[in-house]
Amino acid sequence: MDNTLFGFLDYAVYGTAVLVMLIGLYGAMVKKSLLKIVIGLSIIDSGLNLLIVAIGYYKGGTAPIFSQGFLENFKSVSKMVDPVPQALVLTAIVIGFGVTAVALALVIRLYRHHGTLNIDEIKNLKW
Amino acid sequence: MVGTPVLFIAIPLLAAFLIPLLGMIWKELVRIVPGLVLTYLLILSVNLLNHVLAHGPIVEVIAGWVPPIGINLVFSAFSGFLVVLMEFLGLLVWAYSYRFKRNVDYEPALKYFLMLMMLITGSVGIVLTGDIFNMFVFIEITSISAYGLTAFYKGRNSAEASFKYVMMGSIASTFLLLAIMIIYSQLGTLNMADIANRIHTMKPAYKIVSYIFFVTALGIEAEIFPLNGWAPDAYAEAPGPVGAAFAGIVVKAAVYAIIRYTYTIFDLSGTLNFLIIIGMVTLIIAETAAIRQEKLKRMLAYSSIGQMGLVLVAFGFGTKEGVFAALFLMLNHAIIKSLLFFSGSYLVYNSTEKRIVEVNGMSKYLPITSLLFALGAFAIVGLPPFAGFWSKLSVMTAAADSNMILIMALVLIVSVVELVYYLRVVNRIYFFKKEASIEPHRPTINAMVVMLVLGAIILVIGFYPDAVTGILHKASASLMDKSYYIHHVLSLKQ
Repeated sequence: MDNTLFGFLDYAVYGTAVLVMLIGLYGAMVKKSLLKIVIGLSIIDSGLNLLIVAIGYYKGGTAPIFSQGFLENFKSVSKMVDPVPQALVLTAIVIGFGVTAVALALVIRLYRHHGTLNIDEIKNLKW
Repeated sequence: MVGTPVLFIAIPLLAAFLIPLLGMIWKELVRIVPGLVLTYLLILSVNLLNHVLAHGPIVEVIAGWVPPIGINLVFSAFSGFLVVLMEFLGLLVWAYSYRFKRNVDYEPALKYFLMLMMLITGSVGIVLTGDIFNMFVFIEITSISAYGLTAFYKGRNSAEASFKYVMMGSIASTFLLLAIMIIYSQLGTLNMADIANRIHTMKPAYKIVSYIFFVTALGIEAEIFPLNGWAPDAYAEAPGPVGAAFAGIVVKAAVYAIIRYTYTIFDLSGTLNFLIIIGMVTLIIAETAAIRQEKLKRMLAYSSIGQMGLVLVAFGFGTKEGVFAALFLMLNHAIIKSLLFFSGSYLVYNSTEKRIVEVNGMSKYLPITSLLFALGAFAIVGLPPFAGFWSKLSVMTAAADSNMILIMALVLIVSVVELVYYLRVVNRIYFFKKEASIEPHRPTINAMVVMLVLGAIILVIGFYPDAVTGILHKASASLMDKSYYIHHVLSLKQ
């Protein structure tokens, strides 16, 4: 896979991540159901997390875990993928989970108050 | 040394999660503990600010990892000034809402004070942190507690307002993370000083894209037009003191973040003019929208958005006078808008719709509250001898120094619009007959004390502005001195 013909595959993961984000954005902006909006928002988060992990990866890298092998072959340290984005993604996943939970709690409140999940019928405030 | 900046985050976070446990011992502790914590943090912040003004900024290294590897907190004159302001307002919001509804039972009070503590902690963290990803985490802490506080009342349309806020806030956090990752992928660091030191090695296209994402994301929190769709609803549906907390604490933190990115981190030319333009557009649109509002709190919310636009304009001048004027405006806006929210929510306490017409004739029944509302209204418009006059005057002189005559004219015209809609409310309070159906509600003693303290501060700053200008000058000098910030953070040894 070293030839230029398949070189674009190295960037495929970036494209996929952006595509996932756009799908999520479509769901959040176009769909009328509150639940689908919340799902769309969490799909955006997933796409972004994929993008962040992809930024930290480079070809042929190993997992950034300290082990006996590193001491014997010090060169392999330079073959580790960047661990910082992975740590950031863990934090971002937790935050995204929290936001989704809050949003779902609000959806339940809205459903009890209005008896519907259609966003067009919930407009006591100006949208 | 009396304490370190990390206490501003550690103590309230610990206290917030201990509140439910303490509440099991004695229910009143749920209300008392936040007040004690906020009082301690206020004293600590004043002490630290005094220390910083005399000896230069404090940089706190977390867990022994020196910058640029670890997270650090920077307590400079600029961030310290904002921390003092936020802790002070937090304490006032706590005191005001200590028993703001006599029948608030144990569980709502628990959630209210817990989320209020988290809100203040997150905002103070945004101001103190020296690491962009850490700032993202604090922005999320602030936003999630703000969502919760917006949806606090079950009877109103608060869930709808809060859902709107969640949608915009969630997209904001995505943009913010994207901007952070663009910087990280290019420079391989998350430390603000290190980024600022090496940003000139980044390609301009990446810089511009990441700056745009930053401003969009933070603009949603800072209520910049056209990203402020959530703000009027959230202010109108949240409890009154929470509106004051949003205007005084959350928005200030978001504006701080925008300013930190513009002044310290990015070296793009032309961003200052960009700030002036978005600030002017926000100011004009918000003030014209405020004039046609029928609900009191929505009007105050639009006025708050407009003031934030004016702050951005003042920062956009890029001169020392401009930064001074902007900080003065932030201080005055925090104090005066809190007073307006505090007194305004008692003027419309028993009406369900919270419309402006329902304040008619309240001056006979709530004389002191009405007087304080009028004082706040005159002060925020900028009538002498109140506090707002000096901040507007300093914006004018800063604009004149930068030869921005058109901006001066526009700001003055907008001030007239502001005067019109505030005088309309004051006129109704004093010269209209009260509608019989609405029962006035007397403020509690602690709410009255808080409002009187705020009114006194407005008068003190109005008659004796030198009381604060010294600190403001030092704070603006500390923001303008970018190379000192970078050098001070990066030269730390373990």
